[in-house]
Amino acid sequence: MKPRRLLLGALLLSWLTGCVNATVDQMVFNSPTEGMGDASVVILGRRHASDYETEPGFISCVGKHIGARDPSIRVIDELEFLNALYPWFEPRTAPLRPADLEKLFAHRDVAEKFATLQTRYMIWIDGSTVRGDSAGSMTCGIGPGGAGCFGFGTWSDDASYEATIWDFTQRAEVGRISATASGQSYMPAVVLPIPIIAPVQGTACDSVGDQLLDFLSTAN
Amino acid sequence: MEAPLSGSMTTAPERWLTALVFTCLLAGCGTKQVVVQSEFPDPVMNPLPLTLGIWYNDDFANHEFFDEASGRSESSWLVNTGQAQVELWQTLLTGMFRDVVFMNGKPGPGQMNPVVDAVLLPAVDELQYAIPSHTNVKVYEIWMRYRFQLVTTGGEPIAEWTMPAYGKTPTAFMQSDEGAVRLAAIVALRDAGAHFATTFTRVPQVEAWLNSLPRAGATQVQP
Repeated sequence: MKPRRLLLGALLLSWLTGCVNATVDQMVFNSPTEGMGDASVVILGRRHASDYETEPGFISCVGKHIGARDPSIRVIDELEFLNALYPWFEPRTAPLRPADLEKLFAHRDVAEKFATLQTRYMIWIDGSTVRGDSAGSMTCGIGPGGAGCFGFGTWSDDASYEATIWDFTQRAEVGRISATASGQSYMPAVVLPIPIIAPVQGTACDSVGDQLLDFLSTAN
Repeated sequence: MEAPLSGSMTTAPERWLTALVFTCLLAGCGTKQVVVQSEFPDPVMNPLPLTLGIWYNDDFANHEFFDEASGRSESSWLVNTGQAQVELWQTLLTGMFRDVVFMNGKPGPGQMNPVVDAVLLPAVDELQYAIPSHTNVKVYEIWMRYRFQLVTTGGEPIAEWTMPAYGKTPTAFMQSDEGAVRLAAIVALRDAGAHFATTFTRVPQVEAWLNSLPRAGATQVQP
């Protein structure tokens, strides 16, 4: 019975998650005044910084969050968009300001592609999740009789993202959202290591997604 | 007669454990091999009204980079980009020019080749990589320097220039070093294509050559 109880306890503990604090700031310069109709939205990661990179998984998470909450909003997949407009949205060539879009539309083929995709809003997300301080130690051993770990570990994660919304019809930046989240994760180990992970990136994704949804749903 | 070691001195689980430990140790100091393979998108651009010849030498078509481990705790790296290089440049150049023709041999006097406006000879001069254990930054990076030669079918030089390309990818949960380096290489290849496509007509020698062509007015060069 004892091993069963231990296993049950381990399973229950594995459902536990660490605590996360999240802060969201939103600035909307031009609120949408008309519906999106058949128009689509594309969410892209900024990848210009040398020491970090906006995770493709985070971009995908925000897109799925918006798509799941409001199926009427068509979110174009990041890679699909990058491939459809190659080579104009690679880190080296991507427009940095809304004014740069004019230069891009000077290329007839690019303008035609945009017209096909019916993109109304382009959302640039810049940021990353980084591992902060960590403490504790854990020892694991393996022998003919079995294997196990003993110890305790803890670490913090910090996420910081900024989303910038460009409106294609106005060729202008119409909103900016920033979200930060931080959380502490724990991993006690008595024979089995039990991770109690703080969903820091997931919380940041939900925060950014909710704010974007708020903005885009207003347009519907 | 002496009994074999495996039969007399160790039990079955111990043998498995020993084998596992040795495998893990060997895996730690072996060569990490990355074969870069990917499909690349067609470029969205007005094709230049030129017939371009392409010649890939063996070094380019089978390009690989080997970095020997400097210490016991490090691994050697073998990064093979040849197949992906050919895939990228074929796709890119076919979209950039009206006609693309693959040469029978390296352009030069006496070499029989189809008639084209010019022949492009790409080469990878240098490739460098960085992984988080080298830099303490949580990104994997690949840096390449290309050397391009644009020559006539007779092998006379028209232009020669170098071009850098860079790609990086962040660390991710459950992603191996090999997988991350492969992704960084694909990003670097895409960057090479983007850099080439957006700067080709601005290379001074290429620009001068384009302007010297009788139909230069119809090239629709877009910077």
